[in-house]
Amino acid sequence: MLKRFLSERPLRLPHLKPYVPRPSDPSIFWFNSERDDVISDVVNRICNAHETDRARLEMALNDAAFHEIRRLEKQRDEEARDRLGYWRSMVRRIGKMDDSEQRRVLHTIVTNMARDIAGNFDPRVYRFARLTAPRLIGGVMEPRRLTEGLMAGSPASLDRVLRVQGDLDHLRNLQDRGSLVFVPTHSSNLDSIVLSQALETSGLPPVIYGAGKNLFTNPIISFFMHNLGAYRVDRRIQVGLYKHVLKLYSQVMIERGYHSLFFPGGTRSRSGMIERHLKLGLLGSAVGAFTTNRVRRVDRPVWFVPTTINYALVLEAETLIKDWLTEEGQARYIIEDDEFSRIDRWFTFFRKMVGMRGGCIIRFGEPIDPFGNAVDAEGKSLTPTGRSIDAGGYVEHRGKAVVDAARDAAYTRELGEVLAERYVKETVLMSTQVVAHVLFRDLVRQTPGMDLFTRMRLRGEIGVDAATLCRELGETRDRLFALERQGRVRTSEVVKEDSPEELLERALSFWNGYHDSTAAAREGSQIVIGDPSLLLYYQNRFVPFAEDIASPEQLKAASEIERLGVQR
Amino acid sequence: MTLRIGVVGAGGFGRAIAQASARHGHEVVVWSRKDRELPDPIETSTDIESVRGCELIFLAVPARHAIEAAERLGEVVDGRHLMVHISRGLIGPELKTITKVIAEKTVCRRLGALAGPLVADALAEGRPSGAILGTGFPELTAMVREALGGSKLRVYDTPDVVGVELASATVGFLTVVLAYADEVGVGPSTLAVLATRGMVEVSRIGQTLGAEESTFMGLAGLGDLIAAVAGDERPEIRLGRALAKGATLSSAVGEAGAYIEGIEVAAQMMEHARRLDLETPISSTFVALSQGRISSDDAIQALMERRVGRE
Repeated sequence: MLKRFLSERPLRLPHLKPYVPRPSDPSIFWFNSERDDVISDVVNRICNAHETDRARLEMALNDAAFHEIRRLEKQRDEEARDRLGYWRSMVRRIGKMDDSEQRRVLHTIVTNMARDIAGNFDPRVYRFARLTAPRLIGGVMEPRRLTEGLMAGSPASLDRVLRVQGDLDHLRNLQDRGSLVFVPTHSSNLDSIVLSQALETSGLPPVIYGAGKNLFTNPIISFFMHNLGAYRVDRRIQVGLYKHVLKLYSQVMIERGYHSLFFPGGTRSRSGMIERHLKLGLLGSAVGAFTTNRVRRVDRPVWFVPTTINYALVLEAETLIKDWLTEEGQARYIIEDDEFSRIDRWFTFFRKMVGMRGGCIIRFGEPIDPFGNAVDAEGKSLTPTGRSIDAGGYVEHRGKAVVDAARDAAYTRELGEVLAERYVKETVLMSTQVVAHVLFRDLVRQTPGMDLFTRMRLRGEIGVDAATLCRELGETRDRLFALERQGRVRTSEVVKEDSPEELLERALSFWNGYHDSTAAAREGSQIVIGDPSLLLYYQNRFVPFAEDIASPEQLKAASEIERLGVQR
Repeated sequence: MTLRIGVVGAGGFGRAIAQASARHGHEVVVWSRKDRELPDPIETSTDIESVRGCELIFLAVPARHAIEAAERLGEVVDGRHLMVHISRGLIGPELKTITKVIAEKTVCRRLGALAGPLVADALAEGRPSGAILGTGFPELTAMVREALGGSKLRVYDTPDVVGVELASATVGFLTVVLAYADEVGVGPSTLAVLATRGMVEVSRIGQTLGAEESTFMGLAGLGDLIAAVAGDERPEIRLGRALAKGATLSSAVGEAGAYIEGIEVAAQMMEHARRLDLETPISSTFVALSQGRISSDDAIQALMERRVGRE
């Protein structure tokens, strides 16, 4: 009951005196005054698209009723009791409705969907979050300093944990010239919180973003998300119209200049690998926004910022890799019972992170236009040799800017490929990942011909001499640095500065005491692999480069590791 | 509607495309590094600026010149241009396709790959023929049909661009294999097995790079291979026959009278397959044969002795 109430009814602060945004405020401060207009724009565009085609309209209504009845019958909850009757009655009447009644029903359905999706933005909540969030997080990390942190001074703990990299001046330059769309990799439910903090500390604007409706069941998170511009995405709804409304909402917001954030991977990377196959729906909405503005001669370009979120320790690592390794995991899209929902794990996680330098690095890559081209300080698209071009040419057909859904879908597919390549280049390889890779490669070498799942059962059976491991770590890291000099990979400061022995100790210390199982532990002169699945998770970031950093003797094992990226 | 069409490369295919486009009433300019003479009204130029004003550009150079040509084009094209290439090769051990090269070197994004049983002479003379265009852009398909199509050329299309490029590149290699096998006297049954299983082998590799199996079984793959062995006088046939007669690879290439991309493609595919632990019996055997490491009898024996399974 409470869950549903929280996820469906936004908790808002009373408005005693309406806030009038100042010109210097970020675009999102205008959102509440535009919210109804945005919703009606979305609804009108969808209704107009179905205006003249009765068959399409009838198909959309039938599809909505079919999927909703199926979902609600499975759910058997309060929502089902409320809504099932409506859909069952509607599906019986669709064929008998005349055109105007069908259009009216469509309007009602789409309006309800758009209202459910649309977010809210309260400047007071924004200011409160901006002021206290870093200190609260810092306090969780170092409880002794909570009072001190809340009273004054900068949240030193957070600064120590969270590093931001990238050409921030370039992004700050662009933020007033068009819409920035941040497209990060996705490892953890903490990502949007950490990224919001990184934007704030970097002087970048707040963004709107889609958040899974399941996250709104936590009252505190729900309150902040409802009031900081997040729009709700109910992944259980399979209705075609719903997806259309969602994409169009995102598109209209970007068209209007709201900076946005979405995770093109769609969900957290279960394997720990860098995402390669991206979901194109929301990416397409941003490409569509660029086209629509061009056709309407609105000079508000759209730029994408490939972003990587790199953790030395991932809050939900155990659940995610377990999910990837099980058949059941392939179908589980929403996990509600992972470490994210356990507050004790949050405490342990943050305390681990703060105890270790450089636990999280957010890297903002170079911004690109919707066609994968670099842009200059003014946002002009550039050729590979630095010539400036007009990106509007991409949506022209014989000299005229036109809307062409098939063309834009093709551009979006290509953009997805460009982003996947950028993720590889912008990923910052962390200490735990380097150590996990070298250990896992040794595991593969010591078990030739064994399949992945049998290896996962080798708990406490495989050991590596610590001195040998440190030597391998040093050699592997040297090859990694050679790749870094070629611009193919990036490594964290810790990976650069620590000795191999320090790297090993750091990784063991990160893992042990946080995860339920032990990834690896020292036993005398040996490092014994405790949970190969955790090593697999952390080392999977290395899948694209495994062969390039292997010695001739390690090459066979490295090839096998690279094939992990192809097999599934 | 009259199109302004640019053709980069004045080899056999470049000239044929220019002639076919001009015959359909379009304005055509052919760019090449050296001065060329082509029949009126086709314009020729050695200045890459000449293609800047074109709506549609055909890149008609061998794969080994594709990087350089794309770099030149990169100086003049922008987002308005639509571009199609007809190269049959791939670049480097990672099997980089030509559309990928164009996308890296230029800002042109509306790209396509034209392939299939398309023969330069038939295209130039307007004899009935067919081709496959791999592109994600329906407007590009429409424009290519307008430029070259008409009643004499059926241009089918598929969004599987990488499939078209990989199938097209590997047909050259399979053609050499079949010509070799024919010359050493294997019968029609063996030829059919080699052709079919060879296509399955390359399609398996293609699928790891995102291609669809059906593309290899269509015009870009089997369709093109049938045209090659039916006698459209490709140099790959001459190369395969020369190798079978005992010529070394370099002298066989000389005898074929043209640069053959198929040999390079086979070696690149084998390297890729090794990384992925894929079996490539036909490619591996052929590379060993062409390097003189095994005899033709050994090759046939090695292939016949392999474990046989479900198709």
